[in-house]
Amino acid sequence: MFIVDTDVHNYWSSAEVLLPYLEPYWRDFLVRGEKPGPKGSFPHGHRPWLHPEGFSRHDIRPQTEEDNYLIMKEKHLDLYDIDVAILTADEPLEASTLANYHYANALVKAYNDYMIDWWLPKDRRFKGSIIISPTDPHGAAAEIRRLGAHKDIVQVLASHGSQRPYGDPFYHPIFEACAEVGLPFAIHFGGQGGVNHNAIASGPTTYYWETHALLSQPAMTHVVSMISNGVFEKYPDLYFVVIECGVSWVPSLMWRLDANFKALRKETPWLKMLPSEYCRRNIRFSTQPLEQPQNVKHLWETLEHMDGQNTLLFASDYPHWDFDAPTNIHIPPAWRDKVMGLNALEVYKRIEAPAAASARVA
Amino acid sequence: MTANAAAVPVRGRTFACKVNEVAVGQPRIVAFGRMSIGIFQLDDGYAALLNICPHRAGRLCEGPVCGTTRPTDRAEFVYERAGEIVRCAWHGWEFEIRSGKCLVDDRLKARTFPVEIVGGDLYLELGR
Repeated sequence: MFIVDTDVHNYWSSAEVLLPYLEPYWRDFLVRGEKPGPKGSFPHGHRPWLHPEGFSRHDIRPQTEEDNYLIMKEKHLDLYDIDVAILTADEPLEASTLANYHYANALVKAYNDYMIDWWLPKDRRFKGSIIISPTDPHGAAAEIRRLGAHKDIVQVLASHGSQRPYGDPFYHPIFEACAEVGLPFAIHFGGQGGVNHNAIASGPTTYYWETHALLSQPAMTHVVSMISNGVFEKYPDLYFVVIECGVSWVPSLMWRLDANFKALRKETPWLKMLPSEYCRRNIRFSTQPLEQPQNVKHLWETLEHMDGQNTLLFASDYPHWDFDAPTNIHIPPAWRDKVMGLNALEVYKRIEAPAAASARVA
Repeated sequence: MTANAAAVPVRGRTFACKVNEVAVGQPRIVAFGRMSIGIFQLDDGYAALLNICPHRAGRLCEGPVCGTTRPTDRAEFVYERAGEIVRCAWHGWEFEIRSGKCLVDDRLKARTFPVEIVGGDLYLELGR
């Protein structure tokens, strides 16, 4: 089976791997500046809740920078015969929490260069994400244009914690750049704290698992904002990928949106289709973490309402604590070929389809 | 607003109300037994709609008579067709008063009735 894993986290041993990629002024910031953790931490405005065990699986314990790759190769890429792994970084997503957007831009720029230099050449299966700091949309657009033509870069990635909903015209320079270079715009769980809004609409939660269960809240806001602000009329070929935000909330949100739009369409006369039709055409959702009801058929019935066979993309979230193995993902058997890999070919145009996969797509 | 009309057939039509009882922007709701119909005065004549929305059976004709925004390609608001649209009183779905066509769902159409004016009287063809 052709497998595209759309959420593989490439760690580093220390944020100091970025030093060779930073201009002298920002190198001093990283070496001597204040940080939220010990030496080697990545700077960010820290979130109010913490995972009590750390984010990573406890069987993943790299000692060196090289270990990060070798363990991933042994325990994930080779073990599950992954064909394509889309790298989604880790700490760099948190750059969007910094008030100093100049520093944030310098950090994500350094990360992108490090990722292209160090990670992409390691393995033919790797594809990269350009990490941006959306607090400065014009800076983000410049970064997208700087690297957007790279043959192994497949998407633009931001945190789902943000200062405002992503459909806001403030962010449209980012989508203009994405459309120009032909890359999807993706958001990934994270980036709460600092200048970004909290994950939880009513105020901060207390516990990590409590917070994690509510990770869909900002994603819901972004999905609605992207549709209602007409991003997909302005950029009809743009794919918006929602990573690690759950999926079973999508159908009920679309039901509500369609009904409300029918009553109040005059508010947004630039929309030509129902909200659910934009969602089906332009938005894709990663599977992990897939909800786990007592009776899996309840989940499957829900996913049918979002055309899950065509709108879901497999993700493992390697090597995080809530990892989903490709062999143990609870989707309808008839959907497996599409969800595990073929759907990704529509979104990530630079992923080369194997001959067998091409035949099935056709 | 509601009037009980004497159902007096005239050439296959039913008397609804006096013409001067219907004002622009103020539909007159007339009951025929258990059936309720809204009669509207438009710029160029009169129209009648069954007072039941095909969406969720709301009081279609008791909502605001208004216009709507023209479909656009950017953030601009072009208000047009003023007086040609009724928004259902319950959920706000928009309908063309003349045709009963639903603006937000092609599959739905509000039932319309032909209107005839004879002197100062307004008649509806209820049998269609």
